[in-house]
Amino acid sequence: MADHADTLAVEFRNIDKAFYGVKANDNVNFELRRGEVHALLGENGAGKSTLCSILAGLYRPDAGEFLYEGKPTVFKTPKDALAAGVGMVYQHFRLVSNLTVAENLALGHPKLGIRISQSELEEEARQLGDEYGLPVDPSARVWQLSVGEQQRVEILKLLYRNAKVLILDEPTAVLTPQEAQQLFKTMRQMAEEGRSVIFVSHKLHEVKQVSDRVTVLRQGTTVGGADTADAEPRDLARMMVGRDLELPTRDENLDIGGPMLTVDSLRVDGDRGLEAVRGVTFEVNAGEVLGICGVSGNGQRELAYGLVGLRIPTSGTVHLDGEDVTNLTVADRIDKGFAYVPQSRLGMGLAPGLTTEDNLGLKAYRKPPYSNGPMLAAGVFKEKGGQWITEYDIRGVRPGLPIRLLSGGNLQKALLAREVELQPKALIARSPTRGLDVGATEAVRNLVLAERAKGTAVLLISEDLDELLALSDRVLVLYEGQVAGRMPADEATPERLGLLMAGQKEEAI
Amino acid sequence: MTTRRFIVEPRGLASARLTLAVPLIAVLLALVVGAVFLAVTGNNPWDVYVKMADTSFGSSRGISETLISATPLILTGVAAAVAFKMLVWNIGAEGQFLMGAVFAAGLGIALGDGTPSALAIPLVIIAGAIGGAFWASISAVPKVYLGTNEIITTLMLNFIALNFMNYLIFGSSSPWRDPLVPQFPSGRPIPESARIPEFFNRLDYGFIIAALLAVLAWFLISKTKWGFEVRVVGDSADTARYAGISVPRKFLGVFLMSGAFAGLAGSLYVAGPVGALDPRSLDLGLGFTGIIVAALARLNPVAVIPVAILMGALNNAGPALQSIQIPAATVTMLQGAILIFAVAGEFFIANRVRKPEKKPAGAPAAEGAGAA
Repeated sequence: MADHADTLAVEFRNIDKAFYGVKANDNVNFELRRGEVHALLGENGAGKSTLCSILAGLYRPDAGEFLYEGKPTVFKTPKDALAAGVGMVYQHFRLVSNLTVAENLALGHPKLGIRISQSELEEEARQLGDEYGLPVDPSARVWQLSVGEQQRVEILKLLYRNAKVLILDEPTAVLTPQEAQQLFKTMRQMAEEGRSVIFVSHKLHEVKQVSDRVTVLRQGTTVGGADTADAEPRDLARMMVGRDLELPTRDENLDIGGPMLTVDSLRVDGDRGLEAVRGVTFEVNAGEVLGICGVSGNGQRELAYGLVGLRIPTSGTVHLDGEDVTNLTVADRIDKGFAYVPQSRLGMGLAPGLTTEDNLGLKAYRKPPYSNGPMLAAGVFKEKGGQWITEYDIRGVRPGLPIRLLSGGNLQKALLAREVELQPKALIARSPTRGLDVGATEAVRNLVLAERAKGTAVLLISEDLDELLALSDRVLVLYEGQVAGRMPADEATPERLGLLMAGQKEEAI
Repeated sequence: MTTRRFIVEPRGLASARLTLAVPLIAVLLALVVGAVFLAVTGNNPWDVYVKMADTSFGSSRGISETLISATPLILTGVAAAVAFKMLVWNIGAEGQFLMGAVFAAGLGIALGDGTPSALAIPLVIIAGAIGGAFWASISAVPKVYLGTNEIITTLMLNFIALNFMNYLIFGSSSPWRDPLVPQFPSGRPIPESARIPEFFNRLDYGFIIAALLAVLAWFLISKTKWGFEVRVVGDSADTARYAGISVPRKFLGVFLMSGAFAGLAGSLYVAGPVGALDPRSLDLGLGFTGIIVAALARLNPVAVIPVAILMGALNNAGPALQSIQIPAATVTMLQGAILIFAVAGEFFIANRVRKPEKKPAGAPAAEGAGAA
C-alpha cells in the first residue's frame, strides 16, 4: 500500500454509537479500500447494521472519526451520503411499491427535472440491468416483483446514482442459494470497476466465497480483520461468537410417533384476496420436526395462519390428533393444543406495552387458575410468571416494566416459554431464531428440540436453511403456495433445496 | 467529531414520583402563564387566584358547589380515559352526555310523580347510561364493522345531540318542555321522586355515585378477564387476535362503555342539581372538559376524581371572577393552558433529556440516542 490514503474509500476510527444507553458501536475501527468486496461479519446485534447506517448517513456517531476518501466528513442525512456516492440496500427495502421499476430508479435523482421520458428511463434501466446481471422488467410495478427482484431494483437504484460505495445489509437472507450466486457475480463486477462493496453477513461460507477482506464485529466492537484468503472459517467463527460454536442439532435416535397434525389439500387466501396457499398436503408425526422452507412470500405466513386459525381456509382440512379443527376459532385451537411462535415477536406474539408476567399469561388467562369466572387472579400471573422467568432464564424483567424493553433473545425465550407451557400437541414456529445472538439461538433451539423429544409435532417454518437442516427430520419446500418437493433431511442439501425454492421441478434435478 | 447540546432518550419506566409530579407542574405552569396574562391586562394575579380559591374552597357552600361541578366531569373524564386508553378516539362525550340527559329527563317525566324514589332514581340514572351508549353506538358500530373514522363521527354527533336538545326545548312543544311557562322556553322539571337527595348543602349523592363509578371503571379494566382482554387489544390488536381475543367485540364494548359513562354524567346532572332538561345548565362543554380531565389524569380512571375536582373548582370560580370585572373566560384559558402543559409533560415522562457527558481521553464513550 504505497499510496495508502488514495486507496481508502472509507475509514472509521474509534466510532461510538449508543441507543437508549446501550452501546451498539463501541470503539469500532474499519477501513474500506477502493475496488474491494469487504465482508462485515458478526452475530445479530454485533453492531454491523449500526455501523453501516452511520456510513449511509442515517445515524450520526456519538464520537470518533469518519474519513471519506481521505477527508473528515459528516453525512447529515442519507441524501448527503448518496450525493457523495455512498448508498445502502437495507434489509427492509425502501421502494415505492405502486410505482414502476424505472420510476423508482428516477425517484429523487437530482439530475432529473420535472419532465421525464418514461421510455428513456426504462431503456436506461434495462441497459443497466443487463450490464450488471440484474435482470428486471423496468415497466413492472414493484409490488409485482419477487423479493429477489426487488433487491435487484435497490442495487440498480444505487448504480443509477453511480454510487462508489455500496452497502448490502444481509442481502442473501431473502435469496435462494442460486440467486445468491448471481448476486455474488454482480458484486465482483462492481468491485472490478473500482466500486467498493460492503457485504454484511453472518454466513461464513458466503463471506469466504465473495469477499477480499473481512472485518469481524462482536458486541459492538471490532475484534479482528483479515484478508479472506488467509482466514480459516473456524477462526472467523470463533472471533464472531467469542467461543467455539456448537449449536444443538436433533437427536436422530428418538422414536417418532403416529400422525399428529394432518393437513389435506389446504387452500388459504393471501392479503390481496389472491390464493396464497394452493392445495398443500402434509402430515407431521408426534415427536417429529417438519421443516418448511421457501423464499419468503411463498405462502408460509398464510399456511401458518390457516393452521392456527388466524385465517379460515377456503378449502381443505386440518386435523389435530384425529380431530377436525379446520373451522375452529383461534381460541378453540389454542384449547385443542396448538402453540404458535409467529415471525414478529413484538408485532404479534407479545403485547409490547404489557408486563412480562401479563404476556406469559396471555394464552392461559381464560381458565383457572389464571381467572375465576370473570375475575382475573393477579397473584397467579405473578407467581407462574416469576417461576417461568427463572426457569427459562428470561433476563431484564423488572416489576411493571413493559416487555418491549427486553432484548430480542429474552423476548423469544418468554414467548416460547408461554407456548411450551401450554403443553401443546403441535408447535408451529416461524423463523424462531431470527435476529437472536448465539446464546439465545442455542436456548431457542433446545426448547424446540425438547418439544420434539416430548412427542409434540413441530412445524418449523424458516428461511434459514442451515437451521432447518439441523433441526428437521423431514423437509418440505413451498413454492408459490404449493409443495415443490419433500424429502428426509438426510437427503436434503442447500443446493437441492435452493433449486426447488426457485421453482425448478424435482425431475429436473 | 460530533457534539450535541442535548440528548433525548426514551425512559424505560418512569417512576411513580415523576408521573405524579408532571401533572402538578403542568398546573403550576398554567397558573404562571395565567398570571402573566392577568398582569398584562392590569390585574393583580395573586388577588385573582386568592379570589378563585376562596370561591371554590373557602366555605362549605363553596366546597359543595365545587363538588357539584366536579360530578359530571368525573364521568366524562372516565368516558374519555377508558376510550383513549384502548385507542378508541371517542371525542363525543359531549353529545353522549347530552343524550344521556335527554333520556334521563324523558324517563323521569314519563314516570311521573307516582313512582317511588327507590325505583325512579336508579331507572332515571340507568336511562342516561343507555342514552349515552346508544349515541356512542351510532359511531361505534360503523367504526368496528366498516372502519369509519370515529373522530369525525363522534365529533359531528355532538352537534346533532346539541341541536336535538335545543329543538326539544326551544323549537317544539315536546314533552321535555315546561308547559307552565310557554313564553319562556325551559325544561319541564322531572318529578321530585326521581331527584337524587342532597346531603351537604346543595351537594347530592350523585357525586358519591360518580366517584364509585370511576373506581368501578378502574376495577373492570385492571381486575377482570374482560379488562385484561381490553388491555391487550389496546396495546396490540394483532397480538390480541393471535391470542384468540375477538377484537371487534372488545372495541365495541369499550366504545359503548365510554358512551355509557358520558351518558351517566348527563343523568346524574339532570336527576341531581339541574332537575330538568335545561340547555342553559347542560350546554357547558362538560364532555369536552372531560377530555382535559382524562389527559391530566393520564387516563387513569381513579386519578380522574381529583383532577375533576380541580377542574370543577375552576369552573365554579368563573362566575365569581366576573364580580371583580375579570372575564369568566379566564377559567377556560387556564384549563386550556393546563391541557397544553400536561400533554407536553407526557414527553418528559416518556423521555429523558440530558446533557451529553464529556468524554475524557481514554474514558468510555458518551451515550447518545438515535436521531434517525
